[in-house]
Parts: sequence; C-alpha cells; structure tokens
Amino acid sequence: MMRQRVIRGMDRRQFLWQLGGGLGGVALASLLKEDGLLAAPHQAAVGQRGLLHRQGGLHLLPRAKRVVQLYMSGAASQCDLFDYKPRLIRDHGKPWDPGEKVELFQSNPGMTMAAPWGWKQYGHCGKWLADVVAPLGDCVDDMAFVHSMVSKSNVHGPATFMQATGFILPGFPSMGAWIAYGLGSLNDNLPTFVVLPDPRGFAPNGPKNWGAGFLPAENQGTIIRPHADTPIADLFPAENNYITPESESRVHAALAELNQMHLDQRPGDSRLDARIQSYELAARMQLSAPEVLDLSDEPEYILDMYGVNAKPEDTNAPMNRGQETAYFGRNCLIARRLLERGVRFVQVWSGADNGFPRRNWDSHEDIERDHGPLAWGMSIGASALIKDLKQRGMLDDTIVLWTTEFGRMPCSQGSRGRDHNPFVFTNWLAGGGIRGGARYGESDEWSYKPADPAMTTYCYDIHATILHLLGIDHERLTFRHNGIDRRLTDVHGHVIREILA
Amino acid sequence: MAGLMSICRLLLVVGLYVGAVANVVAVDSADFARDVQPILANNCFACHGPDEAQRKGGLQLHAFDYATARLPSGNSAIMPGRSNQSELIRRVTANEDGVRMPPPETGKRLTPEQIETLRRWIDSGAEYAEHWAFRPITRPELPQLDDADADWVRTPVDVFVMAELRKRGLSPSPEADRRTLIRRLYYDLTGLPPSAEEIEAFEKDTDPQAYEKLVERLLASPHYGERWARHWLDVVHYGDTHGFDKDKLRRNAWPYRDYVIRSFNDDKPYERFVLEQLAGDVLYPDDPDGIVATGFIAAGPWDYVGHVELREGTIDKAITRNLDRDDMVATAMNTFVSLTAQCARCHDHKFDPITLKDYYQLQAIFAAVDRADRPYPSENTRRRQTLVNERKTVQKQIDSLDGLVAQRGGEVVAALNVEVQELRNAAQKDTKGYHSDIARNEHQVKWVQVDLGETVPLTRIELWPAYDPFNNIGEDFGFPPRYRVEVSDDPMFTNAVIVADHTANDVSRPRMHSQVVHLDDVRARFVRVTATKLAPRRNDYIFALAELRVIDSTGRNIARDATVTSLDSIEAPTAWSKANLVDGKMDERSVSAAISALDARRRTLRDQFLNDRERETYAALTRRMESIGRELDSIPADSLVYAAATDFKQLGQFRPTRGRPRPIHILYRGNEKSPGEQVGPGVPRIGDLSAEFDLPENHTEGERRVALARWIIDRRNPLTWRSIVNRVWQYHFGQGIVETPNDFGRMGAVPTHPELLDYLAATFRDGGQSIKDLHRMIVCSATYRQSSAHDPEKARIDAGNQFLWRQNRQRLDAEAIRDSVLVMAGKLDTTMYGPGYFTFAFKDDHSPGYFYDRYNPDDPTSHRRSIYRLIVRSVPDPFMEVLDCADPSQAVAKRLETLTPLQALSLLNNGFMVRMSEHFADRVAAMADDVPDQLRAAMRLALGRDPTSQELSLLTSVAQEHGLSNACRLILNLNEFVFVD
Repeated sequence: MMRQRVIRGMDRRQFLWQLGGGLGGVALASLLKEDGLLAAPHQAAVGQRGLLHRQGGLHLLPRAKRVVQLYMSGAASQCDLFDYKPRLIRDHGKPWDPGEKVELFQSNPGMTMAAPWGWKQYGHCGKWLADVVAPLGDCVDDMAFVHSMVSKSNVHGPATFMQATGFILPGFPSMGAWIAYGLGSLNDNLPTFVVLPDPRGFAPNGPKNWGAGFLPAENQGTIIRPHADTPIADLFPAENNYITPESESRVHAALAELNQMHLDQRPGDSRLDARIQSYELAARMQLSAPEVLDLSDEPEYILDMYGVNAKPEDTNAPMNRGQETAYFGRNCLIARRLLERGVRFVQVWSGADNGFPRRNWDSHEDIERDHGPLAWGMSIGASALIKDLKQRGMLDDTIVLWTTEFGRMPCSQGSRGRDHNPFVFTNWLAGGGIRGGARYGESDEWSYKPADPAMTTYCYDIHATILHLLGIDHERLTFRHNGIDRRLTDVHGHVIREILA
Repeated sequence: MAGLMSICRLLLVVGLYVGAVANVVAVDSADFARDVQPILANNCFACHGPDEAQRKGGLQLHAFDYATARLPSGNSAIMPGRSNQSELIRRVTANEDGVRMPPPETGKRLTPEQIETLRRWIDSGAEYAEHWAFRPITRPELPQLDDADADWVRTPVDVFVMAELRKRGLSPSPEADRRTLIRRLYYDLTGLPPSAEEIEAFEKDTDPQAYEKLVERLLASPHYGERWARHWLDVVHYGDTHGFDKDKLRRNAWPYRDYVIRSFNDDKPYERFVLEQLAGDVLYPDDPDGIVATGFIAAGPWDYVGHVELREGTIDKAITRNLDRDDMVATAMNTFVSLTAQCARCHDHKFDPITLKDYYQLQAIFAAVDRADRPYPSENTRRRQTLVNERKTVQKQIDSLDGLVAQRGGEVVAALNVEVQELRNAAQKDTKGYHSDIARNEHQVKWVQVDLGETVPLTRIELWPAYDPFNNIGEDFGFPPRYRVEVSDDPMFTNAVIVADHTANDVSRPRMHSQVVHLDDVRARFVRVTATKLAPRRNDYIFALAELRVIDSTGRNIARDATVTSLDSIEAPTAWSKANLVDGKMDERSVSAAISALDARRRTLRDQFLNDRERETYAALTRRMESIGRELDSIPADSLVYAAATDFKQLGQFRPTRGRPRPIHILYRGNEKSPGEQVGPGVPRIGDLSAEFDLPENHTEGERRVALARWIIDRRNPLTWRSIVNRVWQYHFGQGIVETPNDFGRMGAVPTHPELLDYLAATFRDGGQSIKDLHRMIVCSATYRQSSAHDPEKARIDAGNQFLWRQNRQRLDAEAIRDSVLVMAGKLDTTMYGPGYFTFAFKDDHSPGYFYDRYNPDDPTSHRRSIYRLIVRSVPDPFMEVLDCADPSQAVAKRLETLTPLQALSLLNNGFMVRMSEHFADRVAAMADDVPDQLRAAMRLALGRDPTSQELSLLTSVAQEHGLSNACRLILNLNEFVFVD
C-alpha cells in the first residue's frame, strides 16, 4: 500500500493554512474559474438563496445587508461604561436606597458606587463616555445608544439565550440563524453566519447561543477561531499520513464522477445533486477561508488601529489591557474581512464562561480589575471596526450591534464589585440605517431601572429594528415548529423608529 | 355521532370508488377538517378563535354556534347555505383596507381557491365537523379493491394505500430488488448495514417467506432496540448534561436510555411503557424499571444556576421552576398525545381546546417533582437479596450443627460460646468512633482531622477501622476504599504534606487491622484523613473510623483526647461521636485477634464432637459463608438514575419537596409576578374523557401522575393511539400519515390517510399494543417494499409522494452514518448499555469544558454504537450536529435533513473519518491480495454490491496512485453510502 509522509520540515499549520487552498480546492479552482463560479472576494456573488427571496422578495426596502454583533458575555456594566450618572459620583460610598426592596442575584445591596474611572463628553452629540471606553469617543456621532434595555432573567444562562435568540430557554434559533434563513448568503465561498468566540472559550450556554434551533442546520453559526491552530474545524483533513494535495484533487474528482453515475441512475431526486454540489462548495470554502484569516495583506496602520499586535502585560491580574486589545482587535479585523467577502452575519464575543479566574464581564468582585482591561480592549477593536467600515463605505449597509445579557447594579457588591442588574442596561448600534448620535430610552438617576417604568426596551425591539433595517417584517419571518409559528421576536417587538436615520 | 357520520362518509366514499378508480375528482371538496379548518386556523383563529384575551370584534369562528350568531352589525359571519349573505365572505373578498380580512398588517390574504372552498362549505351547510384528532377512534372497514389491485395487497396497510392511490389515478411502483430490500430493512430496523454474506444469502434464498423471516430476525436483534430507542430519545429530548450556563454532566441519566432500549427490545406493551415513564416509581416501585423509567420526566434541560444558586422566594426562582415544569408538561403532552399544551402557558390556546387553566392544572401534576439523582433497585439489589437469603439458610444449618456440638459438648462448649459472645459485644461497643454524614454517592469527599495543640515531631499515624454489624457489614465498617492522610500546621490544610496517598486505587479491606503510616522527620500540628471514595452502607455511603492515633518518638499517642474536627459527623453518642475517635478505647491487642484465638479453641472442640460427615458438612458450609461474603463484597452499591425525584440531598438552594406539591397558580400572560387562582391537577377536555381527576382530598403527588398516565392510556383517548402509530409510520417512510407528529391540533397537518391511521391506531390499541406487531404490518406491506425509483408521470400528480406511489429514499441519520463507518472500519464494539462514552476531552470545573478537537478517534471506548455516546447540550458534538442529529434542547419529532458544505467537510476531514478510512483500508487489504479485489470487497461492505467495471477502474486508479486509504475515504463519502434506496 502506498503511504507517504506529507509534511516534511514544515509546520503543519503553515502547510494547511498557506497551501491549504492547494488541498482539494486546487482541483476545482481552475474548473470553477473557467465557469466563472469562483468570485473574487470583493465582488462577492449575490447568492440570494434565502427564504424571502424564494417567497417573492423582502418585505421592506432594506437599509442594510449585513450585521456584526459584538456580544459582551457575563454582563457588561452600563453604569461603568456608557450610562453616565452624576448621582453615583455624588453619593459614592453612601447607603443606596432606591425606595423599594431590591432583590439581587447573590448578594444584598451595598453602598452606592461610582465607576472607578472618570467620564468625558465626546462628539457633536456630546455623549458621555467613561474613560475606559475613550477610544469609542471618535465614533459617538455614528452610534445610537439604547439605555432602557431590560431582561426577563437575571441568570446568565437564560439571559444570554434571550439576547442571542429572543427566548430564555435553549433550543431556539439565534438572530444570526434567523437572518441567514430569511436572507440567505451573499457569497458562494464562505458560511452565511460566522461566530468568532473569545479565545478563552465559550460563553454560558456554549454554541447553543448561535445554534439554528429548529431551523435547518445550514443556518447555524460556523465557528472560526483566528487565534487557534485549527481556526475552522474540519476545513482540512485531520492529522494523517496518506492525504496529499495530489491525492486530494484526485479523490474529489473521482468522488464527483462516481456520485454523478449514481445520480444518473436515480433521476428526480434533487438531493443527490445537492449533495454533489455541497462538495464543490466545500472545496471553494477551502480556498476562501484561509485567505480571510491571512492578515499579511493588511497595511501596518490597519493592524495598529485594531491593536492586533498589542503585547500582553506582565501582571498577576486575571486580565490585562494588552491581551484584551489583541484578542478583541484581531476578531474585529477578521469580522471586517468576513463582512467584506459577503458573510451576512458575524458575531464577535468578548468574554468566556463564568469560571475562575474571571474571564468575562461578570465583575462581582472587582469592576476596575476586570472591566478595566475588557472595556479598553473592546473599545479599541469596536472603534477600529466602525471607522474601518466607514472608510470603506461599508458602514452604510452594515449594522453594528453591541450587546450583553444584562447590566450591573449601581450599588457595590463587596467593596469593588457589582451584582447583576436585569432591570436596566445598555445596547448600542451603529451603521446601516441607524441615526448616529441618537439616544433612546433613559435609565433612572442611579441607572437601576428605566426612568419611565412604561418605557422598557427588550431584545425583541432591538431584533425587530435590525430585521426592519434588513428589509424584514419581524412578524412575517416565521417557521412552523411543533405546531407553533415561531418568530425571532416571539409575540413581541416594536421597531425603534427613534434611532433610525 | 361524529364517529358514525365519518363511517357513513367512508362507506360512501368506498362505494363510489369501486369500479370507478380512474375518476380522480375529489367528491367531498369542502371537507371541514381537511379543507376549511386549515384556512380558518391559519388566517382567522388568532383573533377570532378560542383565546378570549386576543378576541377582536366579539367574533368567534371556531364553532358553529358562535360563527352563525348575529353580530352587532346585524349580520352573521356565516349564514349556512348562503355564502353571498355571509359577512365572512364579504370581508375576505373586500378590496379596501380596513374592511378586508385578514387585515393588511398580518401580511395574509386568502387565495381565490381558498375563498371558493369557504363558499362551497357555507353553501353546503357550513357543517363544523369535530376536529379529526378529537374524534373517537373506530376501526374502519377495509376499502374494496378490484381483483387485480387486491392481488398486490400483502397487509391491510396496502388496502388503504391502494384505495388512495386509485382515487388519484396513481398506481404503486414495483417491488424493489432484494439487495435494496435487505439494506432498507437493516437500516430501518437496526440502524446498521447488512454484511456482504447476509446480502448474498438473502438474494439466493428461495424460501417464499424469506423476507418475513428476515424481518423476524431483525426485530429479534438487540440492535433493533438501539435503533428505535434513539427515535424515542429524540422526542423526549434526552441529554447527558443539564444545558444552560455551567453545563454539568448528568452521570446517571443513562439508565433511562438503557431502559428505553430494553423496552423496545422486550416489545413492552405501549400502555405499560406510558405508565412507567410517568409514574413507574409509584406503580412499580420494586421493579427496576419503575423508577428508572421516570427518567422520561427528567430528560430535558435543567437550569443549574437557577435551581442551585438562586435564593428561595425570588421572582427568578419562580421563573426557573415555572419553566422547568413547563418542559415536563410539554414533553408529556407532545410525546404521548401530540398536543401543544405549552401554547397555553401565557394565554388560552389560540387553536385548540386548552385553556390557561387547563395548562396550569397540567403543571400541578408535576408540582412536587424535580430532576435529580435517585437510587433504584437494580439487578445488583436482586443479587444481593438472593445472597443475603442464602446466607440466612446457611447460617441456620451451621447453627443447627453448632447446636449438636453444644448438646454433645456440654458445659465446656457453652462457657466458650458465652466468652466469644461477650468479647464480640465488647468489641462492638469499643470499635465505634467517628462517623460522617450519609452521602448519596461514593464520590463525595469527606475528612476528619485532629489538632495536636502544637507542632511536634511525629513518627507514626494509625487508622483503626470501626466495627458495626449494620447491614451485616461488621468489620472495617465505613473504612474508605480510597483516602489520603495529610499533615499540616494550618487547620485549613492550604499548605499540607501528603504522607499517605491511596486515592488512585481501592485499598484492600483492612478488616480489623490498623493501618499504619510511618513518618520520618515530619513535624506538624494537624493530621487529617480525607476519604476520596466513601464506603458503602446499604443504599448510601459513609466514612467512619474507630480510632485515629498519632504516635510521637516516645511511643505515646499524642492524639488522645485531642480536638477533632470534620467536614460533617452524625454525632450519635455514645456509639458514634467525634470524641470517640481519640478516646483510646481500642485496646492495644486486637479484639479480633482475641476472637480468633477463642474461635480456634472452639474449632478444636467442634471437631471433637462432630463425626466425619458432619465435619465435612460444617467445613463446606463455612466455605460457602465465606464465599457469600466475598460475593456480597463484590456487588457494587445501589445504582442511581437521574429521574423524577421528590427526595434527594439538598444541593445549594435546590431542595426536595419530599412529596409536597408546590402550590400552582394560574399565571396570566405567563407572568410570575401576578399569580392568579391556585389550581389542582387536571387535563384539558378531549372527546368524551373527563377533565377532572377523581382524586381524594389528601392524595399523594404520585397519584396525580398516575391519573395523567391513566387518562393518556384510556382507550377512549383519541390522541394517544393515533400519535404512536403515526410516529412509527413516520420512521418507516420518512413522512408521517400526519406530517406534524407532535401536533395533532388544528394548526397541525391533517392525515393523508385518515382511515389507515385509525385502522392502525385501533388495531394497535385493541391488540397487544405491540410495537413489533405494528412494524410487521408496515414493513411486510407491499407499500413498504416498493422501489424508490422516480416516475415523472406519477410525480406530476403527486410530486411529494404523499400517497406513497413509491418508497422514499432516505438519507442515513447521524447515528447510522457513524455506526456504519465503524462497521466498515471493523471497529464497531457491540457492547450494549452502560454509561455514555466521551467524544471529547472533558474538564470538570465550575463551568465544565467539553473539547471535541481533542477527541482521539482511536479511543476504543468510543467505538460503541452512537446511541451510547454522551450527549452534551451546550456544546454539541460538531460531527453529529452537522449530520442533523437531534438537538436535546428541543423535542425533535422529525429530524431535518440538510446537505451542506460543512457536512461534506466533516465527512471528508474530521479525524474520525480520516482515521476510520485507514482502518477500513487495512481491513480490506487483509481480505484480498490485489487492489481491484480489495476494492471489490470495500464496495461490497459499504454498498452491499459489486462495483461496475467503470467504478472499479476509477477506484483502482485512485488506490494505485494514492493508496487504498484514500480510495476507502472516497467510498465513505459516496452518495450511495449515505442514502438508502
């Protein structure tokens, strides 16, 4: 039997990810080019294969085509980042009394606590930002803030599901999956919905946060880990000593031929043909995906802007600014490259599970220690992403959504931390039809609850707004499952017209 | 009445079609259930249906009396016989917004055909027939067929199918060839491919009953249960972790999975299967299946943080419990009666007769149960009981011989016996010491430690086992099989020195001998013994020690009367107490040694007074006693199952109800903050069945579940029997008679073959409720045996093959693909049952980690069938997920079938496929000498046929240029490998 060592003196990862296109893909590459099927990255083929296109088009005139969702796992504190409250500074260290019994997740209310850093105003709109997110100051005139978000749960698992899928139970499709299902792909070489997890691991609920639920599996998020040795699982053959670029192209071609013979004897079953095509698409993905992750063609100033090369600091703290900047920045830059190549929905995570030492935004012990580096890194990456999309003319039809599962209390837990606050938190959006500098909803003087109890904003409203901007009526994008016409927005949701351009 | 009418209609239909088979015009073109109700349900009921809260304009269209009532405008929505005067027709045909229904914001508009259907229905009297699924089941007569068609019939199934085909001008396809049939049957009934030899034998078998015999063989195979249990587990959304945040392992969920496999293999009557899963713990507490079966109730996800960490009395706690019960209600109602009861959690069901109150009554049925580990009687329990009984018998025989000895030996023997007994009693008193709290599982860690008062040099530590005759344990009672001994200067042992480590393997039983740790140059103030595996008692586990001694260089026991602390202690003085651990009351000379000495004397006496035969008997009995003791030692403690539980050890804020149902209130809009009226247990009113449970005032919680189970299996329940036969049918054909197996309500699909459905349901219900009999009737039918080949003429009439003019080609599901690849590789381990294997690296933690990229496909434990894989909810196995395996977070009544690039990449590149392709190649390489023969063998294994010459030459060139492994990997990626004709 013929056996040969494939990898000689070459790092396996380099082999796959630089010559990766040579595996399998190469065989088809020339074929596809001849057929004009392999689109160049910037002219991503309009592969409109979504449900709505089959159903006769979008419901509304779309303002955007793509979405990037920045998801802060563990509950990022609104009153330490975006929701400026002079009362907290004034009353810092004094007892906190909102005039009602407060029910917290794991503690009893401590003293009123100000953010551990200062605040400044930015932009024409004069938006107040905490110093720890100062890099976003340049972008505030492109951003719209929603300060009246509330959640149905103060437990990470259900609440994370809620922001991701609209339900506090597992098993429902994520927003990205709904959008992939409704609108289909903008390209033929890459998945429609891509997820970039925090390099430290998955958020609470794991991949169920970007699952397809009961929608067809093709709509689920595909994980890409730019920081890992194998950024996309199974894109190339696992470690072995018998697969070579030559064998690969031969196997692909012979497989297609044999499957075609099988199909010829079984006319009338489109699935057999679809499966043959799925192998061709797979080969195209092998060509395109490594290119997306290869940053060597990015100029230095872009890498600097995203902070991709920031160096981790030597510290005993669980997290540090350099590392957070490099983590989040690289994911934001990859996100831009994916969007540019026609990926419809990209989800970027900051923060992993609720383990110890802290590796997400769940700062029960110390806001400054944990939010400090996370917020700094996040704001560098997010601001670079907004600016970069803008300079490429892509911000006009790309929606950026920043979210988290709930907020944090205006009072302290211990002396430096904060407990969960499901009653109020902040989301912000930018780009694709969003009115820059807008603000919607207001929290009370402590950032404890919405100022007007009747003016609560749920994820349903954010989801409805995003679907609206994409040209979808959120009440009409449905899927019948176990007897129920399911929607991303369940039986709720109002488009927030106040933040639309 | 309704039932009688439907029979009349059926007879009419049958009568009409006999001899007029070519006529395909539908006779009953506006049948309420089939044609009208779906239009009303989809377009009108949301605002004009049963849900009071959403009702607009006071109009209800779901019942005749309401729909024909006079409206405030003076008109009626429906005027029977007069469609032109019916407001309904006026509104659905209106052009102007604001008048036209449904309103524009719904985005819905009736098609001209739908409007025409409504007109015809109104003109013919607007009869509101009862929804098909709620009508009583009566066994329909077989339709009449002409002689030629009757010849085709093999089982009653075919009569109904043929009649429907003929109504539409269709005819069945020819029977598939034998190779196709055997492959189809194997995968359908066992989920595994037939071997090349089995195919050949079947092809050559001239027995006219060859097919039926094959069916019997496969139904008798244990692999049958493994295949069909998987279908059931999809529906009940079984998983081996909790899901949500901090997704912990459920180490004891698998006994329920095994129970399902066993139940299918044993062909358990369905009635019993239902009773066991809802209330087996109440109805069959002594049967090993009784408690295990209630794993059904616990199968779904569970919010660990919400249950364990949230404080009692908070709103979020109430939400957590409400949703937890919601899952139980939904699972029970979807699974057994195909009703979407969960729709009524926030409002009256919009389409079906389930009110908000009905829903919360259903919750009340589960109000006392939680999901938790609980012990159950197992095979081990039975074995233990048998041995204990035997020991009693043997002891009696020994006693009677001892009696002889006492009789013959007189005072000498009597005195000796008294001495032995006294010593034994003394030993019992003095050999008790520290005793931990009782644990439910042996892996809880417990410790006890002594404070020597100051840091001193130590030379020796002695652990003295305790003695307690409880449960016939006696010697070394509570001595941990695994433990470590540590010393430290810090009472918290943050900086500790381990001086003895027996945590990796079980130690041999010390009996009554002290275990000594010799120390060299060790100074410390605290000494701690930590049990890492507890000793079994009866159904639980403990850690006990009679005496802990710490000896200094002078030989003094410096632990005597020292302060003892421990993680926990039962403190039952005078027998058990922490202080007894250091009371020094374990005499230097071993008590058991003294007993042995006396025993030796007694033996000598006994030998004197017994004759040869008696001596021999005595020796044999003693040997048997010893071997019984050894066997008892070797039986593991009672097993645990993750199931419905009312009594379990508290974990954080998660406390058992001890059988007291939590109060259930109606929650308007599902809102936990505004509880309404409190409700008791009950069910929705379906058909003629009572919605009230006949339960006494002081009934137990278990009786509620029994009542639900009895309502489900009531022969008059129209849903249960239709639901199960439809599920079985669906797995055989890839499509149900009703396309929505979990929803038989008004929004669900209507049956394509209503009479067939009822025939199967009635036959099943009134026969032995044997699932295997149902399989027989289906797979032995001519309908099932048809070829799956396409026919453009027939496809023009019925493109979706709703009426089964051919069999459906099916893609193998994730499990069948993985299992088949293992079969090809020659690696499948057919060991059944037991804990699930990991296809990931596991890191147990506050938030456990599951890492599939670190799975080694050559790990032999993972080569068992896929049903035995451990199913993680939060991080699904990507290989299985991409192949559309069931999501354990949702009830999966029917799997989706996708064909995606990611699936192609997985089947080509996943480490499992890459490695198994190599094993497959190695296997065929050993089967033949030259490459073409090896490939012939590979194709025969994978596809059950020889390759064509064209195929063979293509494969041969691949193998010759790039090796057999590449060719084998190719074969495993063929369409023909993953599709079954």
